[in-house]
Amino acid sequence: MAVAMWAEKYRPSTLSEIKNQTEIVNRLRKFAETRAMPHCLFAGPPGTGKTTAALCLAHDLFGQRYMDVFMELNASDERGIDVIRTTVKEFARIATISGAPFKILVLDEADNMTADAQNALRRTMERYTETCRFILCCNYSGKIIEPIQSRCAVFRFTPLSEDDVAEYLQQIAKRENVKCTEDGIKAVIEVAEGDLRKAINTLQAAASLKKIVNEDSVHLVVGRAKPKDVKEMLELAFNGDFLKAREKLRLMLVEYGLSGTDIVKQIHSEIFRMTIPEKNKIALVDAVGEVDYRLVEGANEEVQLSALLARLALVAERVNQK
Amino acid sequence: MHVPWTVKYRPRRLSEIAGNQDAVKTLSDWVKSWDRKVPSKKALLLHGPPGTGKTVSVEALADEYGYDLVEINASDSRTGDAIRRIAGMATGQAMFFGKKRIVLLDEIDGINLREDTGAIDAIVETIEKTNYPVILTANDAWDPKIRSLREVCQLVEYERLDMRDVLPYLKRIAVAECKEIDERAIKLIIERDEGDMRSIVNDLQALSSGRKKVTYDDVAGLAWKDRKEDTKEALKTMFSAKNCLYAKKVVDIVDIDHEMLFEWIYENAPRQLTDPVDRANAMKYLAKADIYLRIAKRENIWKFLAYVFDLMTAGVALSRERTEPSSIPMRFPERISLMSRTRRIRGIQARVGSKIGRRCHISSRSAVKYYLPYLRIIFENNYEAAAGLSRYFGFDEEDISYLAGDENSTRKIERISTRLTS
Repeated sequence: MAVAMWAEKYRPSTLSEIKNQTEIVNRLRKFAETRAMPHCLFAGPPGTGKTTAALCLAHDLFGQRYMDVFMELNASDERGIDVIRTTVKEFARIATISGAPFKILVLDEADNMTADAQNALRRTMERYTETCRFILCCNYSGKIIEPIQSRCAVFRFTPLSEDDVAEYLQQIAKRENVKCTEDGIKAVIEVAEGDLRKAINTLQAAASLKKIVNEDSVHLVVGRAKPKDVKEMLELAFNGDFLKAREKLRLMLVEYGLSGTDIVKQIHSEIFRMTIPEKNKIALVDAVGEVDYRLVEGANEEVQLSALLARLALVAERVNQK
Repeated sequence: MHVPWTVKYRPRRLSEIAGNQDAVKTLSDWVKSWDRKVPSKKALLLHGPPGTGKTVSVEALADEYGYDLVEINASDSRTGDAIRRIAGMATGQAMFFGKKRIVLLDEIDGINLREDTGAIDAIVETIEKTNYPVILTANDAWDPKIRSLREVCQLVEYERLDMRDVLPYLKRIAVAECKEIDERAIKLIIERDEGDMRSIVNDLQALSSGRKKVTYDDVAGLAWKDRKEDTKEALKTMFSAKNCLYAKKVVDIVDIDHEMLFEWIYENAPRQLTDPVDRANAMKYLAKADIYLRIAKRENIWKFLAYVFDLMTAGVALSRERTEPSSIPMRFPERISLMSRTRRIRGIQARVGSKIGRRCHISSRSAVKYYLPYLRIIFENNYEAAAGLSRYFGFDEEDISYLAGDENSTRKIERISTRLTS
């Protein structure tokens, strides 16, 4: 059996195969049945089926050869006004010849587009509505400009329930001949937090370690996939070695390609495990929140996070003095 | 982030290197000769003035012919033991995937003999034991302290670049950056920087920052001194300033653009202000300055630059309340050097990301985030699955050794990051 990325191999190809997001799927199936659809905005956290739903909808609308009238663009790789002006327009403006009523263009990670690019997109969407429908996928609908939101049917994807994740995992394990203990599956579900892609990737990585996927192998994966560096960095800052801590931060951003937001999230979860006065904890959460907010606004990751590290070092210094 | 042109336009192939064609050919012939047999001298010493392309030609050679470049900054690894440990890995047995390597010991005349005890001996030892080409670079091959190295190396001289070498290269940059630069202006820069390509490109960038056109008068009107030293001096003044206006002067004195100045201050503020309170305050102001800088750039609201300047200069300088004045030396922004050192690794990462993205309906950036950590685990532990996935994604050897986390590459980055640039 050829090796593949399981998350891809077992991606549903028709709407009927999608087990979760029932309400959304039902609405999308109506689109397929009537062969008509509006522009759509799929919003929701990673691994909840936005791209899958778009692919399945296209498949159900146009059949096996849907790729002829379907285009997928990743806004964060190919963003910018130029792409909207050229690629998107070229695709959108030419009517289909294959008998399909319209084309579908999926713009993934649309919340990474600048406001200018979104405005350019909005005009394109209006102009070529006859020939092309847009599906925009994003994590936060708030980062999509209002005029686009008002032109789209908005679908909110939610994290998968534990039962749904378990069902997918067991099905894959069976097809791949992977033995899983109950603990193992449970551990995967816990770390995945409703993110099916994360769940399947964790399962596949754990299965590559040992013959049997159990709690241990899953924890091994989780430990490796989430480098301890964040903790080490915090310890350095706490011990007053700010420069080393900043170096570590720099390494994570550059080498591991970790995003600043990921690091912020981990720092946040560490705060409540720290042995500092409760009052300090909440002040730190305030500071962490501020950094997260600034990152969303496009501030520089290293500069913002190292300012936070300096602040942490200061708190530690004061606690130690007492 | 501010990308220096020296990084952006760094040659990636041997044919792109300006000047010193004979030296470059000797270098590449010698390295390739290792495929047939080990040459009598197992190390090359590339020597010549700064900015003549010594390091760049080794990097381009590695890039073009697919060598793994193991870099050791000799002036930074400090002790003989450190060099031995790193060099030992580099000269030991072949890697799992059998990729060829070049060991580069950069700037060996920067070794501080008093601190770096045994460093020279360790390098000589490395050369004796090596199974891979070892390349050393130095400004002055005749420095007495590296005499014993000279004896075990074949010497290759890099000469100062002249007008013919540099001119076409600079013109290409000007075109790529949409800058109109008077040829006489370019010539004057080349002349004043005495054929040091790094300085020439830096000067060209500084001069054309914020303008579309650079004329002869722009260049002639500049007081010409060593920029790096100037910057360090100006920063010293700034960090000891006791009032705002005095601290803000640094912006006018230095000859680098404001983003580069920010990088300099960001690098040095926590080094200069060692008291935790002072440091946290300085970093707080820098973080604020960063925000205004982004807004200024993104929304073209340039009035925000005023706050950027104030906060990053006066804000930082006046954060000094408890830290005693000191003579800690100013350092070149490490972020900038790290970006240039890790360019190759980041390139591989982006390529791996886009290969994953193509199959998994995801952007390459998200692929790095959502798939890479798991692929690494699989590649490190299960060679069979790794091979299968390599076929699935179309990974080449370089991608694979990146994912398999060959020890060298991780340590390489660690080492690189701790390195300073002179």
